[in-house]
Amino acid sequence: MAKKGGKVLCVDDEPSIVRSLQWLLQKQFEVVTATSGAEAIELVKQHDFDVVISDQRMPMMTGVEVLREVRRLSPRTMRILLTGYSDMQAIVRSVNESEVFRFINKPWNIAELPKVVDQAINIARTQPVEDTAADVTEDAPLVANGERILVIDDDPDMGRAVADIVGTSAKVSYTRNLADAVGILNSEPVSVIVSETRVGSIDATRLVRLMKSKHPEIVTVMLTGESDADTITTLINQGQIYRFVPKPIRSGYLKLVLHSALRKHNALTGDPGLAFRHAVENTASGTVDSLMSDVERAATLSETAIASKGAGFMATLGAGFRRLFGS
Amino acid sequence: MQFRLVRYFTLASLGMFGLVALSLIYFEHLQGQFFKQTSDEQGTFFSEVQQSFAKQQDESARRDLLSIHEAGNVNLTRLFANALWEKDFAPFVASVQAIDVQTCRAIADITDDKGKKVAPPEKKACFTDVGNRIMALPAFKGLDAKVFDSMKKSTVFKIKVFDLRGITVYSSEHAQIGEDKSANEGWRSAALDGVPKSELTHRGKFSAFEGVVENRDLIGSYLPVLEPGSSRIVGVFEVYSDVTPFLKQIQQTSEQIKLTAVENQRKLEEAATTNQTAVDATSYRQLATIAGLLALLFAALLVIVRRAEKVIQQQEKDRAHAHQQLAQSEKMASLGQMVAGVAHQLNTPLAFSQNNVLMVKDALQSMELPMKVASRLSTILEDVDGDKVTLKVSQLKANLEKLQDGNVDVSMLQAMLADVLEGIEQMTEMVVNLRDFTRLDRAAVANADLNKSLHTVAYIAKTVLPKNIELIEEFAQLPDVECNPSQLNQVFLNLINNAAQAMDGPGKITVRTATDGDRVRIEVQDNGHGIPDDVLPHIFDLYYTTKPTGEGTGLGLPIAKDIITQHGGEIQVSTRIGVGTTFTVLLPVRQQALSALAA
Repeated sequence: MAKKGGKVLCVDDEPSIVRSLQWLLQKQFEVVTATSGAEAIELVKQHDFDVVISDQRMPMMTGVEVLREVRRLSPRTMRILLTGYSDMQAIVRSVNESEVFRFINKPWNIAELPKVVDQAINIARTQPVEDTAADVTEDAPLVANGERILVIDDDPDMGRAVADIVGTSAKVSYTRNLADAVGILNSEPVSVIVSETRVGSIDATRLVRLMKSKHPEIVTVMLTGESDADTITTLINQGQIYRFVPKPIRSGYLKLVLHSALRKHNALTGDPGLAFRHAVENTASGTVDSLMSDVERAATLSETAIASKGAGFMATLGAGFRRLFGS
Repeated sequence: MQFRLVRYFTLASLGMFGLVALSLIYFEHLQGQFFKQTSDEQGTFFSEVQQSFAKQQDESARRDLLSIHEAGNVNLTRLFANALWEKDFAPFVASVQAIDVQTCRAIADITDDKGKKVAPPEKKACFTDVGNRIMALPAFKGLDAKVFDSMKKSTVFKIKVFDLRGITVYSSEHAQIGEDKSANEGWRSAALDGVPKSELTHRGKFSAFEGVVENRDLIGSYLPVLEPGSSRIVGVFEVYSDVTPFLKQIQQTSEQIKLTAVENQRKLEEAATTNQTAVDATSYRQLATIAGLLALLFAALLVIVRRAEKVIQQQEKDRAHAHQQLAQSEKMASLGQMVAGVAHQLNTPLAFSQNNVLMVKDALQSMELPMKVASRLSTILEDVDGDKVTLKVSQLKANLEKLQDGNVDVSMLQAMLADVLEGIEQMTEMVVNLRDFTRLDRAAVANADLNKSLHTVAYIAKTVLPKNIELIEEFAQLPDVECNPSQLNQVFLNLINNAAQAMDGPGKITVRTATDGDRVRIEVQDNGHGIPDDVLPHIFDLYYTTKPTGEGTGLGLPIAKDIITQHGGEIQVSTRIGVGTTFTVLLPVRQQALSALAA
């Protein structure tokens, strides 16, 4: 038999699940299974896996914990979390602590799963690994070199909070308006987007997802007051958000997040290949159009200074969308 | 027990108002009586004062009358004596002395019916005889005429003259001459002491100088006669003067005074009656006012209390409604949690079963061609008589790849399907347990094997519990317990969930059963962080929760306790900080009243 295309570790406390995964993946890949977190960690220490797929709900050690440990032990290994039902806290931790590549819901699609694993293996094998930087404390000063941070939130305090944290070391643009955000993204190189999931009445995650698919070097931090597991699952799979910060926000934590987001951005721009590690799923077709029409409608309705610029503005906005996301 | 605010208030306040009214009436009555008594006393006193005043006035008028007339009589006697004594009476008296009276006096007195000593008739006759002998004296006629002459037209009605022996020497009423007055007090006073003595008397008939007069008031005075020029008493005059007009005047005045007094008394009584009426009226008005005010107060309070009761009832209704809603939401929350757990639990067998079935289906698809080939080959071989068959492989070679695809490991497919069967079994187990847990298709009250119920609950609980919590079942042989198993399942699930929430990381929950006399004992023990002392007394309190607002309803344990109490059982708790908590449920094997559980 030909050399198989990668080494995959499947972890689940239910033996039938790992057997199924093994049967599904063993034709294409070399599959190793483990039925507990501890066993998986031992295997990761002994072998060099391209991908680890772990179930979240396991006794003794949760999937997030296993994947965080995998990330520490073997940074090049791509991490996929398998979940039965979505536990909000687990998802937030999987984003922030384990930096997972994908969420896979049970029951999985038997045609898709091997493709996702294949893509992950490709990335793991071909793309360089960024250095795991030493942990920073909340007291450490923020390191930045005049990068631009775009804050999109209804709450002006958010923009002020970010501006206070970065001081003069980086430029902060705040807007509560997606049309403005599109304008800023068009006119300036933006390094980090800090965005609320909903701005006004519009789902802002579409902008973030679209931005990430076209401009993978932009690092995205999501803020949210409400917790909707589906939104975040979509964000990680289609937006590869870098960090997820639940409101209310502690400024010390936000500083840490911004610090590492800026560092991440620098790593991504320094070695564009890294960005493939954050490749996203294709967003549903028509997302650009629906986002554009929402933004235009909101801009018209809001009677803002921008809206008063008239038809010329709409044309500019449309052009901006096309330039940002391609046609 | 229901507190009937309005009823209790009405009874208590009406009773109290009644008491207040009664005491007020009593005191008003006392006051009225006191006033009446005082006014009666005043009236009596006033009347006494008036009467005594009238009496004194009358008495003093009479005394004055008496003393004035006595003085007049004294003067009259002097004049009379001066005029008549020396020339006429002195010789006449002297001649009378010759008449013996000792024989008459010697006759003994007798005692009459009333025990009073009176003179017997023969004694009176004796003295009458003495009188006759006096009148027979020759000087008598001239003297008598002189006396009558000088006394005519005067107020003097009678004149008597006594000698020092006490014998009536002369009387203008001739029948009285000769009478012995020596025992008479008036005579004795005048004759022996020289002091005049007067007496006011009323006479129905009186022989006056000018004939017999009737109904007269007379003053009779015994007056000593002094020898002119000396103070020697030589005789005694008795003068009767008529004071009827004076006395009548006095009596009229007295009458007038009495009338005035009576009038005054009447006026006083009238005033007293008026006052009494006024007082009574005031008193009634007071009572009526106070009664009115009390009634007003009662009405106002009644309105307030009724309003309050209505508000309380509404609040009670709202509270009950809110409670019901909370209980419902509590049920829905635990149900939702359960459903989520069940969904996840079903997801696992579903995931691998679906995966395996799809893979087997693909494999069967790829086996189709090889099977056809094999089948064709077998048909060919059947028709062959000899030992050898010649195959044209050129056609087959083109499809060789497809044939190799079908080279599936059948034992692997069997293993896959075995897993699917196992998955179906897991799902079936879940469905059976769910049905046993809810018991929607069963009688509410039944004789249940609690070990089986607890196993079902534990199975359901495991779907929700974090996987690092171990759930251990330690069951002893139990008799069937008469109960509402669905309700008890709710209680046990709640206790196990609570136990799980008492742990932050890995933990152990032990569900234990045992018999305890005619009861069964179910324990849910955890090794979590225990219940703090300040929380422990409140765990069965309605709405008490230590979870953040919006997460806990504070109804789980109160409802559990309700259910256990309805079963005639008990729920106990023992806890040690850092060691763990044990909830113990004790249930009677047989129920006293089954109907209570059917709800």
